[in-house]
Amino acid sequence: MTVEVQAKTRLPQLSSDKQLTFIKLAVLSMAAILSFGTRLFSVLRFESVIHEFDPYFNYRTTRYLTEEGFYNFHNWFDDRAWYPLGRIIGGTIYPGLMVTSATLYNMMQFLNITIDIRNVCVFLAPFFSSLTTIVTYLLTKELKDEGAGLVAAAMIAIVPGYISRSVAGSYDNEGIAIFCMLLTYYFWIKAVNTGTILWATMTALAYFYMVSSWGGYVFLINLIPLHVLALMLLGRFSARVYVAYSTLYCVGTILSMQISFVGFQPVQSSEHMLALGVFGLCQLYAFTQYLREHLSPANFELLFKALLTTLLATLGTALVALTLTGKISPWTGRFYSLLDPSYAKNHIPIIASVSEHQPTSWSSFYFDLQVLVFLFPAGLYFCFSKLTDANIFIILYGVLSIYFAGVMVRLMLVLAPVMCIVSGVAASSLLSLHVKDIEPKVEKHEKKQKKHENNLVFRSEVGALFVCVLGCLLISYVFHCTWVTSEAYSSPSIVLSARAHDGARIIFDDFREAYTWLKMNTPEDSKVMSWWDYGYQITAMANRTVIVDNNTWNNTHISRVGQAMASTEDKAYEIMRELDVDYVLVIFGGLVGYSSDDINKFLWMVRIGGSTERGAHIREADYYTPSGEFRVDADGSHTLLNCLMYKMSYYKFGLVYTEGGRPPGFDRVRGAEIGNKDFNLDVLEEAYTTEHWLVRIYKVKPLPNRGV
Amino acid sequence: MLPAMAKFRFSFIFLLFIVIKCESVNVDTISSDIRFKNVDRTIDISSQLVKISSKLTLENTGGTPVKNFLIAVESAAKNNVAFVGAKDSNNKDLRLVETTVSGYDYVRFWRVELKDALNAGATSLVTVESVFTKALLPFPTAITQQEDQLVKYIGNLYTYTPYYVTSQKTNVILNTKSVETFTKVKPYTQQDGGFQYGPYPAVKPFSEKELVIHYKNNSPFLTVTRIERLIEVSHWGNIAVEEVVEIEHSGAKLKGPFSRYDYQQDHHSGPASVRSYKTLLPASASDVYYRDTNGNISTSNMKVKKDSVELDLRPRYPLFGGWRTHYTLGYNVPSYEYLYQSGNDYLLKMRVVDHIFDDMQVDEVVTKIILPEGSTSVKVNLPYPVTRLPDSLHYTYLDTKGRPVISFTKKNIVENHIQDFQLRYTFPRLLMLQEPLLVVGFLYALFLCVIIYVRLDFSIHKAEHHHKD
Repeated sequence: MTVEVQAKTRLPQLSSDKQLTFIKLAVLSMAAILSFGTRLFSVLRFESVIHEFDPYFNYRTTRYLTEEGFYNFHNWFDDRAWYPLGRIIGGTIYPGLMVTSATLYNMMQFLNITIDIRNVCVFLAPFFSSLTTIVTYLLTKELKDEGAGLVAAAMIAIVPGYISRSVAGSYDNEGIAIFCMLLTYYFWIKAVNTGTILWATMTALAYFYMVSSWGGYVFLINLIPLHVLALMLLGRFSARVYVAYSTLYCVGTILSMQISFVGFQPVQSSEHMLALGVFGLCQLYAFTQYLREHLSPANFELLFKALLTTLLATLGTALVALTLTGKISPWTGRFYSLLDPSYAKNHIPIIASVSEHQPTSWSSFYFDLQVLVFLFPAGLYFCFSKLTDANIFIILYGVLSIYFAGVMVRLMLVLAPVMCIVSGVAASSLLSLHVKDIEPKVEKHEKKQKKHENNLVFRSEVGALFVCVLGCLLISYVFHCTWVTSEAYSSPSIVLSARAHDGARIIFDDFREAYTWLKMNTPEDSKVMSWWDYGYQITAMANRTVIVDNNTWNNTHISRVGQAMASTEDKAYEIMRELDVDYVLVIFGGLVGYSSDDINKFLWMVRIGGSTERGAHIREADYYTPSGEFRVDADGSHTLLNCLMYKMSYYKFGLVYTEGGRPPGFDRVRGAEIGNKDFNLDVLEEAYTTEHWLVRIYKVKPLPNRGV
Repeated sequence: MLPAMAKFRFSFIFLLFIVIKCESVNVDTISSDIRFKNVDRTIDISSQLVKISSKLTLENTGGTPVKNFLIAVESAAKNNVAFVGAKDSNNKDLRLVETTVSGYDYVRFWRVELKDALNAGATSLVTVESVFTKALLPFPTAITQQEDQLVKYIGNLYTYTPYYVTSQKTNVILNTKSVETFTKVKPYTQQDGGFQYGPYPAVKPFSEKELVIHYKNNSPFLTVTRIERLIEVSHWGNIAVEEVVEIEHSGAKLKGPFSRYDYQQDHHSGPASVRSYKTLLPASASDVYYRDTNGNISTSNMKVKKDSVELDLRPRYPLFGGWRTHYTLGYNVPSYEYLYQSGNDYLLKMRVVDHIFDDMQVDEVVTKIILPEGSTSVKVNLPYPVTRLPDSLHYTYLDTKGRPVISFTKKNIVENHIQDFQLRYTFPRLLMLQEPLLVVGFLYALFLCVIIYVRLDFSIHKAEHHHKD
C-alpha cells in the first residue's frame, strides 16, 4: 500500500487506474523474479546439479520419460532397484512432476531451445515457486484485497519454509505440489464465492494436478470437506457451496483415480472417508432443506428422525463390515504418525529413522518463518473480525497446518504458504490502518475506519512509529530469509564444501567420484548393497542395480540389509550371497568429519535389522556399552567392534593420522580413537575408496575354491 | 517405403564406391635398382607408443633415374601402424601414397615420391618416421597396486624393406635400466637406458629376425577409445569446441584391491597408475569447462601460457590398469583466428583432432563441424584420408531450417595427426539478420496480441455486477 501511494505522485501522466495496474504488475513481477532468483544460490556457488537423494530418482525417471515416451514410462518395470524384486515405477509414483518437466522439455525442444533435461529439472522448482508467488497473490486477493495479495506474494517469494524444498536442483514433488495446492485453494475459494460449475471444475482439475504430483493431496482432500462441514455448522451452507463441493468431489475423485498409484484409494481408504462423508452430508442437507420447504413442520420432523436413524444405522454397519472385510484399508502408518507423533517411533522404525519425519522443534518455526510467526495471530484476528466463507477456509487451513507442522518437520512446507497469506493480510491491514494516519489526504478513500478518526492524540506520530517498526520487521525478515536460504538450504549435499585454515574453499566431491567409479569400472550387471539412503543416487549416477533404495516400501528387504551390516563378517557373507551382492558401499566421515555417515546411522540399521523375524538375533542392546553408550573406541561393545559396518568403515583407518596430537585412527566425527584397529577383511576386498575416504566400496569375494 | 528406398539406394552407392575404390588402388613393383647404403634406425619405446625413425641413405645402382621408392611394414605390425611420414635431407615433407605390390599381400606398402629424381649412381638421405600403437604388450597382463608395469616389445631386428641393405644400425631407447630380458644378437651394446644393435652388414630384402625386449615401462598407458569433437561455427565472432572423450588405461590390469591408504601414504604407490595428464588447448581458448554426465569435475587446473592454454586434467579417480573414465571438455575460441572470409565465401581452418595428452593414442575420432544456418556448397579438404559420414542437420536456438553438420571419422590416431583441415563454404551475409529479425518479429507479434486483447472485449455477455467483497 505504501508503494502505491508514493508512486502515484511520480507518474502524473497516467490515469490513477492505470498507475495502480502498473504498480501491481511491477510489484508482482518483481516478487516472482525474486522468488526465482533467491533460489539460485547453489547454482551460482556450485553448479547446476540435482541435490540430495529423492531428486535423483525423479531426475532419472524424467530422463526415462523423455527418452522412452509416456507409455513406456507408465509400464516401466525397473530392475535396477530392489534386487531381486524390482519395482514397478509407473504404478508406484506420482507422475505429475516428471510429466510436467518432460512437457516443458518437449515444448522447448519443439521451439529449438536446446536446453538439457537436467537443467529443466534443476530450474523447475524455482520456476514453479514464481508461479506460486502469483497464485498466492490471487488467493489473498480473493480473501482480502489486492494490497494484502501483494504483501503475501512478496512474503512467499522468500519464505525459508518453502525455499527449503524448492531451491534450484531440489527436484522434488513438493516443488510443484505447493503451487498445485494453492491453485486448488484459489479455484476453490472462487467456486465457493461464485457457486459456478466452471470454477468448481477448475478446482477439480487443479486438484487432479495436485494428486498427480504429491501424496500430500490427502491434506487437501480433508481440508476442503472440513471447510464445507464448518460452513454447515456455522449455518453458512448455501447453494453456492453445494454446487462447488458436489462438482469438486465427483469430478475430482474420478480424476484422482486415474493416477495408478492412487487407484481406488479415494473410495476405499480411511483417509478419504471425510470427503465422502461430507459429500453424502451435503446431499442429505440439501435434500432436507428441499423437504422442509415442501412439508409441514410436524411431518418433516417425523420423517427427518426416521430417515436419520435408519441412515446412521446402515452407514455404521456398512463401515464396520467394510473395515472388517478389508475393503476399507486400515489407516496407514504415516497417517497415524500425523495424529499421534509417538506412533511411528514406537511401531515403525523405518518411518522414525527419517529425519524429516521428526517432530518440529520450536526454534525451527522461527528459523523457517521468522516474523510471520508473530504476524500470523494478528492476521487470524483480522480474518475473524470480518468473517466470510473464504476467511473461514483460511482460518481452518492455518490452524490445521500449524498442528501438522508441529508433528512432522517436512509439513512446515504446507504451513509456510498460509503463514504468508495470513501475515500478508495482517501486514496489509495494519499498514493501511496506520499509513492513512500519517497522510491525511489518503484518509478519504478508506471509509471503514472513519469511526476511529477523531479521538486520538499524536495520531500521525504513532502511525509513523508503527509503520517504521513494521517496516523494520519486514526488512529484518528479508535479511533473515536471505541468510537462511544461503546458509542452510543451498547446499547440494552431493558436493560438500569446507573452509581451509587459510580461508580457501575445499570441495569434497567424493560422492560423484565414487558413483562415477562404479559406473565406469564395474560390470554392468553388478549389484551394489548400501544403506537405503544412497539407493536412488547409485541407480541414477552409477547406473547399477541396488538392493534397497529410498522408496522404503519393503521393510523386510531393508531389514535384511540392516542385518548384513550389523552382523559379523561370516554371517553377513551368507546374507550377501543370498542377495547376490557384488559390491558394498559405505559412507564414512571419520577422516574429514562428515557427521551424517553410516556409523552415525548405524543404530537405525540395527533397529530396522532387528525388527523382523529373521533378524531377531540382532539386539540393539548388544551394540551399547554396559553403561548404555554407543562408542567406537576401545570401550565399545564387542559386537559393534566386529560387525561388518564397523570393519568396512574403519578398514586400514587405524593407520591414518587424522589430527595433530592425536593417535592414529582418530575418528573426527565421534571424537575418539577407534577401538579395533588391526583387522583384515576375509570375505571382502577394498575395491575403491574416494580421496577423502567419504565413500568406501568393497568387492564381495567369490567363494573360495575347494581344498584351498 | 521411403526410408527403405533410401537405404537401398545408399547401399547401392556404397557398393559402387567399394568397387571403384578397389580398382583405383595403386599397384607398384619393386625396383631392384634401389639399395639402402646405410640405415640408421631409432626405436623409441619409452612411452606407450613405438616410434621408429630411420635415416635411409638411398642409392641408385641402376641406369635410369628413380623417382620414388617403397616403404614396407611387416605383416605382424601392419595393423598397429598409425602414422608413416617421410622427409628429405632438407627436412621437407615428402608425399606418401599407400600402395600394394602383387605377391606381397601380407605387407603394407607406401610409395614415397622424391622431390628430385635420384640419378644413376647418386645417393640421397631420407628420414622415415612411423608410429605404432598397441605394439607394447603388458607382461604380466595384471599387476597389483604396488608393482611396476612390465611390457614386452616384439619387433624386427632388421629394417623391414623390399630393398637390399648394405649396412644398418638400430638404437633402442627405453629410458630405463630395468630390463628383464632382451634379444642378444652380436654386435650389440647396452647403454644407459637403451641398446644399440649393429651394424649388421648385407641384409637381404624382407628379412625378419625377432627382436624382443621385456622391460619396465611405467609411462601412462592411456588409450582414448573414442573422441567426438564438435566444432560449432558462429559468424558472431565465436567458435565453440566441445570434445567428448572416453579414456581407458590400456596397460597391465589392476589385480586385487585398491588401497587408498597405501596410495595416499606412499607416492611411489601405484607407479603404473595415472593421476592426471596435461591437455594443451589453443592459446586463445576461453570459457573452458570440464565435466561428465554427473556434473562438473572439480579437479583441474588451468595455466595460460604464451602459445597455449595448459589444462592439468585430473580424472575423478586415478586410473589403474583396465579402469575407464569419460568426460566432456569444451571451450570457445575467437573466430578471427580460424575463419577467413572473402565476400560470401568462407574458409574454416581448424585441427581435425587436438592434443589430449602427450604420446596419445586414439582409437576412433569423430569430428563434427556445425556451420551457420544457410551455409551452402561445402567443400572439405583434409590432410589425410578419413571416412566422411553423411551430412546432417542440427537445430538449436532460433533455427528454422537447421544448421548443416559435416562429419567425418578416422581410426587409430596419434599426435602426428594433429593437422589442419580446410573447409570452404558459402554464406550469404544478409542471412545474418535472420535471427535478430526473428526475435523482433516475435516480440512485435506478442505485443500486438496483448494490445488487441486489452483493447477489445471478447466476453459473450456483459458482466452484470462487480465481484462482491
